[in-house]
Amino acid sequence: MKLEVYDALMRRQASRRDVLRGTASAAALMGVSSVMGGLPARAFAADDVRAQILKIPGVGKGAPTDADWQKVGELCLGPTKANVKQGEFAGVELTFMGLNNQNLHNFLFRGFLKPWEAYTGAKINWIDLAQADYNARLQQSIATGTVDFDILEMGAPFEGDTAGKGLLSEMPDWVKKQIDIDDYVDYLKPPVGTWDGKTYRVTIDGDCHNFNYRADYFKDETLAKAWKDEGHSGEWSVPKTWAQVQEVSKFLKGKKDPLSAGPAYGYLDPYKGWGGFGFYFLEDRATAYVKMPGDPAWLFDPENMKPLVNSPGWVRAIQEAMDLLSYEPTDQINADPGTTGFQQFLAGTGSMVTWWGDIGQQANTSDTSVVGEVAAFDILPGSEDVYDRKAGKWVKAKDGVNYAPNCAYLGWGIYVMARVESDKLKHRAAWSAAAHLGGKDLAIWTAMYPSGFQVHRNSQSKIEEWVAAGYKGDYISNYLKSQFGSYNHPNRAVEPRIPGIFQYYSVAEDELAKGYGGKYKSAQETADAIAAAWEKITDQIGRDKQLKLYRASLGL
Amino acid sequence: MSTMEGDLLHTVETGSISASRRFWGYAALWVSAAWFAASFMLQSSHDLGWTQLGFENWRPVLYAYFIWAAVLCATRVVIHGEAGKKALFVLPAALFVVSMVVFPLLFALWVGFSDWNLASPTGRQFNGLDNLRQMLGDAFYLNALINMVYYALAIVVEYAIAFGLALLLSQEIVARKFWRVTFLLPLMLSPVAVGWMVGKSMLETRFGPIARLARWLGWENPSFFGDPLTAKLSIMVMDAWTFIPFMMIMLLAGLQSLSREVLEAAEVDGATKWQRFWQVIFPLMLPVSVTAVMIRIIFKLKLADIIITVTAGGPGGATDSVTSFIYREYRDRSNVGYGTLLALVYLVIIVIGMTTMINISDRIVKRMTGRI
Repeated sequence: MKLEVYDALMRRQASRRDVLRGTASAAALMGVSSVMGGLPARAFAADDVRAQILKIPGVGKGAPTDADWQKVGELCLGPTKANVKQGEFAGVELTFMGLNNQNLHNFLFRGFLKPWEAYTGAKINWIDLAQADYNARLQQSIATGTVDFDILEMGAPFEGDTAGKGLLSEMPDWVKKQIDIDDYVDYLKPPVGTWDGKTYRVTIDGDCHNFNYRADYFKDETLAKAWKDEGHSGEWSVPKTWAQVQEVSKFLKGKKDPLSAGPAYGYLDPYKGWGGFGFYFLEDRATAYVKMPGDPAWLFDPENMKPLVNSPGWVRAIQEAMDLLSYEPTDQINADPGTTGFQQFLAGTGSMVTWWGDIGQQANTSDTSVVGEVAAFDILPGSEDVYDRKAGKWVKAKDGVNYAPNCAYLGWGIYVMARVESDKLKHRAAWSAAAHLGGKDLAIWTAMYPSGFQVHRNSQSKIEEWVAAGYKGDYISNYLKSQFGSYNHPNRAVEPRIPGIFQYYSVAEDELAKGYGGKYKSAQETADAIAAAWEKITDQIGRDKQLKLYRASLGL
Repeated sequence: MSTMEGDLLHTVETGSISASRRFWGYAALWVSAAWFAASFMLQSSHDLGWTQLGFENWRPVLYAYFIWAAVLCATRVVIHGEAGKKALFVLPAALFVVSMVVFPLLFALWVGFSDWNLASPTGRQFNGLDNLRQMLGDAFYLNALINMVYYALAIVVEYAIAFGLALLLSQEIVARKFWRVTFLLPLMLSPVAVGWMVGKSMLETRFGPIARLARWLGWENPSFFGDPLTAKLSIMVMDAWTFIPFMMIMLLAGLQSLSREVLEAAEVDGATKWQRFWQVIFPLMLPVSVTAVMIRIIFKLKLADIIITVTAGGPGGATDSVTSFIYREYRDRSNVGYGTLLALVYLVIIVIGMTTMINISDRIVKRMTGRI
């Protein structure tokens, strides 16, 4: 900036900070304009914005950088500008606590919020946490009454620990409008989208496990012939039930992988604990056996909080995992979900794995993936019979097969803490920042590019947008069908948002490890040990309170 | 300056402290102590719900402690003059130890005998000996303690290897400095990095170079963490690889400080190489060896990083260490009260175990070296 221009601005009473901010905004705008091919002459219509951001940087054109995140954030500022005046939050400081996993999460939020800060005048201070430290930090803040953040990135399962204790700020109506909350997929709407009837979460992710498989295995003629020759019933095809997954996995032992010519393997179980997250993968097997249509309860009895984990349906799931261990790759007992998803399936080992939508996102975009051309997707396998906990017996599935997609973790959300409510401006600023991050247009970008977040809005199902961004039509249709098919499934298994939910999972992982390691005599004994440990946790946290919150989370 | 009998060499001022100075010194000390005690009691009462009156947090009590500590130091001089200055050489360090060691330990005891799950809406509840009773029936903790015995026994082998390497590096070999630095490299690596580099990459069953070598040598399906015994041995090897250099460097320093005259005298007396080692070098090295082994045991008892990274305690708890189990109990399950008690019990076991071992080893050293 020339000295005379600076002096002129100073004479007009512009502060040094305003000048610098203006310069930064101009620079950001110049950056945006270079992508857009010239300075914007008018405000873009929503569709224009979507078309433009989806080309930043373009699928297959390298990983997005901070400059890209800032450009996307700048282009998605429209809804903020409609609700907030420029400089309205000058002097407001907010603290944001979130993750820094794989250089995603907070790294993206910083870029997205930089233009928001420049426009509104607010300043954001950041608390970055590794996934391993996140739970402990959050729980300690809550338990010791030292919540030192205003905005929080949090998984929905922790709502029992936060909303249940009155720590969250209820979402104002103007935010609901700004983020178009009605666009969320069905399962993220109430009751899952609310806590005790109130909305707290700006959803930025929609977690659900789907079934990832290798299409080349099931098109392979050699394997098809061997299948017939060995006398298996039915055609050689993608399993639709867990019983078929077992049969196919056992059949594949000793065969050749059609892609690598190495040993062929079927389903990949993660037998090693993963800080509680590994339990979701046993749930993948179990939900088909225990989640009855019309009954939301599948983990605990909603009458008394007694664990259902040692019911015959769960025991069958544990038994099947035990049975398959010797048919899976060597050292599989030491494989956690990170291993099965990324070091095995994406790297070409195994033909079936359940995971969150990351596998589909990365199969075609990650440099370490060798299965981009052969990966295919479906909702989780089902079961021909299901254990009816109320009747206390196995019953035939109504439609032939009982499917129950596992809505594991329910997705990440942005939350505003109740502590900002004493300051109206801060409250409004915090919600504006949250709404910006949860904006409809920004959400399609995070669903398409590496972000740690998956699709969660009905508007994200338009195949043409994905194709325009660079995805292959068939591939993305198949992937999105598995995602939306899970979210919108009428018998989806929704995780209960009760306090300490990961404590239950973590202790279950320890007991399962003993079961898989042969320390218990049977699957039933393993399941009983888990149930006993869960009872202890429930009693420790407080049964009545847990029961109340459990029922609330199920919408009962 | 007056003089008086006593330690005249070190005392440059005595007996000149006026009564009023002493009075104000004691007054300042008692006021600061009373302030500290009152703020502590007030905040404790507030936290226990006995009174409404109290601070928003414990910070004012901390400030009161700092002020009391500063006044305590200052009043040593005010009240006792030159003699009080001597106390200033020790008092700050003593207060620091109290703040950083004694207080946390007392706080840990307070937490350890309580039912405190961070997810519980009722917060911390004193539960007497319940945690202790739970611990006695905790198969996971017992399993981890037994594993620690195996891990600790592996130090015997580590010591033998470290001694061998130290002897080798104390010889006039080619590029001796290069080898010393090279052998020290594993110690410079973080155990987490070792876990990833060795456990999760080099020992990876499909593409890991060690697995490939094992396959080439005829092991059809190499598995380093598949069964309990192999997994435990693999963890021991990785941990040993990291920490053998530590023992080696201590033993090497000991070897270099041995008197050459003694060794030459043994040689002149016609002792064979084995006799020189077993009857001269080894006994002379015992004090250093005991120190190296003791420090190594302390390191070993803290073993956790490699286990958490590579096996998470599996398969079936075969590789679990006490620290890795407490880590899960505390971090994954937010079970602060029980986790703290487990750590305290482990501390007591370590203190008793180490004290006993030091006494025993001291006697052995005295017997073998002939020193009474």
